[in-house]
Amino acid sequence: MSAQRAWVPLGFFTVGLIAWQAAVVYSGQRGLYPYPTGVIDAAMRTVADGSLLAATASSLQRVLVGFAIGALCGVPLGVLMGFVRPVGRALGPIVDSLRSIAPIAWIPMALLWLGIRGNAALFIVTYAAFFPFVVNAGQAARLVDRNLVNAARALGASRALILRSVVLPGALPAILTGARISMAFAWGSIIAAELAMGIKVTAGGSGAVGLGQLMVSTLYVRRDVNGLVLYMIVIGIISLLIDLAMRRLQRTLTPWRQA
Amino acid sequence: MPVNDATGTVPVAPPPVEVARAGRRLLRWLEFPVALAVVVGLWQAVSAIVGNNTMVPSPLRVARAWVDLAQGDLREDILASLLHLGLGYVLGVGLGLALAVASVRFAVVESIVDPLVELLRPISAIAWIPLAILMFGVSGKVPVFLIFYAALFPIFVNTVAGMKQVDPQLVRAARMLGASPRMILTHVVMPFALPFVLAGARLSLGVAWMAMVAAELTGADAGLGWRLFWYQEFFAMDKVMAVILTIGVLGYVFDTLLRKLQARITRWSPDSAVDETR
Repeated sequence: MSAQRAWVPLGFFTVGLIAWQAAVVYSGQRGLYPYPTGVIDAAMRTVADGSLLAATASSLQRVLVGFAIGALCGVPLGVLMGFVRPVGRALGPIVDSLRSIAPIAWIPMALLWLGIRGNAALFIVTYAAFFPFVVNAGQAARLVDRNLVNAARALGASRALILRSVVLPGALPAILTGARISMAFAWGSIIAAELAMGIKVTAGGSGAVGLGQLMVSTLYVRRDVNGLVLYMIVIGIISLLIDLAMRRLQRTLTPWRQA
Repeated sequence: MPVNDATGTVPVAPPPVEVARAGRRLLRWLEFPVALAVVVGLWQAVSAIVGNNTMVPSPLRVARAWVDLAQGDLREDILASLLHLGLGYVLGVGLGLALAVASVRFAVVESIVDPLVELLRPISAIAWIPLAILMFGVSGKVPVFLIFYAALFPIFVNTVAGMKQVDPQLVRAARMLGASPRMILTHVVMPFALPFVLAGARLSLGVAWMAMVAAELTGADAGLGWRLFWYQEFFAMDKVMAVILTIGVLGYVFDTLLRKLQARITRWSPDSAVDETR
């Protein structure tokens, strides 16, 4: 992009922001519509009283726990389904149909089973994180080059050595792709689960309040539009950071595979 | 091998290879029903152990609830959801395609749309729910808006990627033969990009489906997602399970249909989706 080209979007966005601010301020409806400086105010306020940080941390914590459980259960199942063909063929349609259920649809059952104190959200996140691992680990196991395995065996490698130095490096890229998808999906689902819980469980949310619950109380209790926009921006930034971190992990662990 | 003493011939039997193949085919055919039976059996067992049809409704009760619903509410809910999905999806895919074509064709459009998309794309549709409720009120507009927003990005990203990967040789050849820019777009670039567009359309539908359920759960007054909490109010968990399963089956059917369509229309090309996870 040439230097001249860069001025077009820059100018466009500056004018857009100023117009947005002016329109809201001069219409005299500051309580009803969000506007840029209001969002900045909201950011200062929620950072200062710590509510933003605490909510973000508890949402992130649930995502990480759900992601770990999803990986621990999903990768072995996927590898089993990929290596043992009959198992894969038998469980495939079942995994596919469970996968088609939007994780968030389980929220009424999860609330019933696990209560309102945050574990229901954890269940949803784990459910979301689980399937990308199964699918990608299965694909990885299917695609491991049999010739390489046979060659290693012919050269006298033990089963453990084959697993460690042939199968694992061969499967790692696909598993890491699964991890990236699963992390992104988990982050989307935690917000959905917390929103649904926040709307369902009024005022009783004594568990750790996440970003979703914070959004609901901002919407219905405090009616703070600027706060809502701020939380949306925070959600966006975190999903960018998650994606960045997962890509870096991919580059570090599988440097032989370009992009 | 047993030899018949009287005639000295081997008794006629199908060759063993054929038998093994037929057996394997039968086994393969049985795998899924068996797996399904095992899962339903496990579910039944858990339900029997828990012994509480509200906590874990038994498969039979859920089946009965489903039949019950199929004659009444369920049809209405599916129709409402499909209406949300259809409206939002057509709007989202339409705008996504238009923006993609415009930004490949005109550099000025690209210089504005591209950063805008990169700014908005990380903000998932789900994050818009509270603002959408504020803007539209609890109504059918919330899921339509969310589906629109969710569908917009995968189709846009994939279409742009497809159109940018067109072989410049082809474009130059067409231009040399006297094709106008518009003809190049419709006869060279678009057919080339078609597999990408279809892959994007399928990804869009997947995220749109998820956004639909979430939006209906939280901010709508009709549809499958809304029904979940409706029945939960009465602790009719067998009905909740029936709706959950319906959501799963419908999602699976849609994805399979689009995949088949994609395979049929672009028979020459393997699945060429840009990795797009949100």
